[in-house]
Amino acid sequence: MSRNGTSGGTSSATSDKSLRDRFVAWLKMFFAAKILVPFWALLTPVKKLEGGPRPSVQPGDNVQRMMNLIMPLKDKSAIGRAKAALAIAQNKDEIYAGLDNVGTVHFARFVIVDDNICMFSVYDGDFTNYIRDFIVTIGSVFDAVVELVEGGEKVIPSAENVEKFIDWVHDHDAYQVSDVATDILRDQEQANGDAGPGGNDDLRLLPRSLILQLNVNTNVSLGSGYRAYPGYSAAQVRQQFGVGW
Amino acid sequence: MNDQNDQNGKLNHADVQGNILRGYRRQRVRYLMLKVAGATAARRWLTASLTGADGVPQITTESEKRWGSKPETCFNIGLTYEGLRALGTPAASLADFPTEFIEGMTKRAAKLGDVGPSGPENWEKPFDKPAQIHLIASIYAGDCKKPDAAGEIAQLDAVQRAVVDGKWGMSLLGTRDGWCFNKDYVHFNYADNISQPKFEEIHTTDDYGDYPDGDSQPMAPLGTVLLGYETNFEGLKWRVPRPPQLGYNGSFNAFRVLEQDVVCFEEYLTTAADYLLHDPKANLLLPPGTESNIGEGLSRRDALREVVAANMCGRWRNGVPLALSPDTPSPSKPVSKTNFDYDGDSRCPYGAHIRRCNPRGAQIVQRVANHSRRLVRRGMPYGPAYVYDPAKPRDPNEPKRGLLGNFIGANLGAQFEAMSCDWLNLGLQDPRVTGSNDPLLGANDPVTSWFDLPLPGGDKIRLRKLPRFVTTKGGAYTFLPSISAIGYLGSLSG
Repeated sequence: MSRNGTSGGTSSATSDKSLRDRFVAWLKMFFAAKILVPFWALLTPVKKLEGGPRPSVQPGDNVQRMMNLIMPLKDKSAIGRAKAALAIAQNKDEIYAGLDNVGTVHFARFVIVDDNICMFSVYDGDFTNYIRDFIVTIGSVFDAVVELVEGGEKVIPSAENVEKFIDWVHDHDAYQVSDVATDILRDQEQANGDAGPGGNDDLRLLPRSLILQLNVNTNVSLGSGYRAYPGYSAAQVRQQFGVGW
Repeated sequence: MNDQNDQNGKLNHADVQGNILRGYRRQRVRYLMLKVAGATAARRWLTASLTGADGVPQITTESEKRWGSKPETCFNIGLTYEGLRALGTPAASLADFPTEFIEGMTKRAAKLGDVGPSGPENWEKPFDKPAQIHLIASIYAGDCKKPDAAGEIAQLDAVQRAVVDGKWGMSLLGTRDGWCFNKDYVHFNYADNISQPKFEEIHTTDDYGDYPDGDSQPMAPLGTVLLGYETNFEGLKWRVPRPPQLGYNGSFNAFRVLEQDVVCFEEYLTTAADYLLHDPKANLLLPPGTESNIGEGLSRRDALREVVAANMCGRWRNGVPLALSPDTPSPSKPVSKTNFDYDGDSRCPYGAHIRRCNPRGAQIVQRVANHSRRLVRRGMPYGPAYVYDPAKPRDPNEPKRGLLGNFIGANLGAQFEAMSCDWLNLGLQDPRVTGSNDPLLGANDPVTSWFDLPLPGGDKIRLRKLPRFVTTKGGAYTFLPSISAIGYLGSLSG
């Protein structure tokens, strides 16, 4: 009995404690996410960092680069998502032929995530050249997709708005958080036009920098991704396989 | 169509600055880097520059027929984004300019290979403070056929004084002088200024004479270099900044101060020749006994030096293209310097400078880009001529030399930057050169650099350890406004 009682008492205490703990944890989270972060953000406003791969002059860094376009659909319903799926499906052959002609693309795929149509691709060389060549090759197909995206109407037809279109696509390309933790501080300094010498970092503030960046930049790519083989261009791979480039 | 074109939508030549569609072929140039200190006075200056009123030098314009009597000097201007702002260009117009121009050349450094010793943090005055450079004026004087240094310099000085006269609100940040020390030859001792985009609106009329035997490349549409016209891409036009009088007939320029290490270049040729002397495959490159095909009385080593130099450039030093004459700079039957292409068997290296920067009709990875990244190049060397003398030790006080280059096109991103980033320094256009730099101009790092010399029969010899021969010492992106645009900017207020 006493054993049972003790046992029962312990059990009930545990449950009380766990409830309290859970409440405290929730309160902490609520406080952190809903009060502290907005307060921080107000106190130290940060700029949304630019998307796409970081500039580099190393040839290996300038091939197999990632593009992670995340484009919010205008119509956030199953019908809207279906329209996006259809726009891709109807133009699949043209898109693939276009990518072939651009010549610098390794992989490209379209994914619907929640109410976003996403285009993820791996390409070689300069981003603007990639998008410009893509517009030249199959701009009209791009237009059919972009038309379904919030703000897309302002940049189509792409052939008549090349510069604006490229900037717009760049704006939708996710920021690539570096594999080197402190790079986010360098990126932030650069975005703020701070040309002074960096490197005098208070590393304890790193998580705060990351949180504040993720506060304004909700979709990011983590690291530069895994590569099974070193940086070769799509044409080099095709040449090695003897499939023409 | 706009009022700057005539009723048939044709080019109104007189609305375009004179150094864009064709060169002046002058003996000497001076660039004035200027800051707009007083917007009102500077705008009055712009207005006066249209007519040459009040002692302000008159802007030289294009004309349907090139001038009958050459003006004593030519005068042109380019404006940076900061310059347009300083003159009071409305915000809506400023926003119409392309991102790369707004950001300026220094922000695009990584794309252009301007890193390390070429990095903007190492640029010379006044390019170390890019935001201060508002206007780059160029003054041309002299005649290549009758050089007269003292007379030319006096003319440049006189024009400079007229620009920097205190009353015009322009402060002078710095100058750069260039001159032709040996006709069309430039440092590294190659003949230059051979092949340029040609335009129907210009070159069918009078001076196609530069190209006596034609050019395998198609005529360039005007939109290659001027805003408001068809480009190389069907149905695609670049954005023209509004109002129309500001944007139409304008162009963009990448002005570059490129220092050339001539001694280092000649030394590298010797190093490469010595390497080849010990490589049995070099007998295919230059069969023993054929050295005199390269030059009368040349030793094997000196002949190999010239073979390497020719391969790096894609032309022999006298301008003869390897594509047409791979074995000698003096073919018994003369070949064209312009009318050639790169077919599958071409012995012009895939990575040679002229082929990398302009692949003509060659197979390239980016299939839509063959002719679309072409640039008009207007450059003049600076510094004294260098005479290669292997017996002479390297002079530690060797004077500075290089090129003052203008790389002109309607879209900096699609032309100058695309060429610099993907082709010059990454070699993306051909899998056989990907990962290498342009041997002459590229951001070479001796640890990783390489360059392939093709051999008859398809084999190759790989040269390594190429150092950086050309270092960027300054530059700016400028907008080359039309005559109407200069008038428009002069009429602004505020």
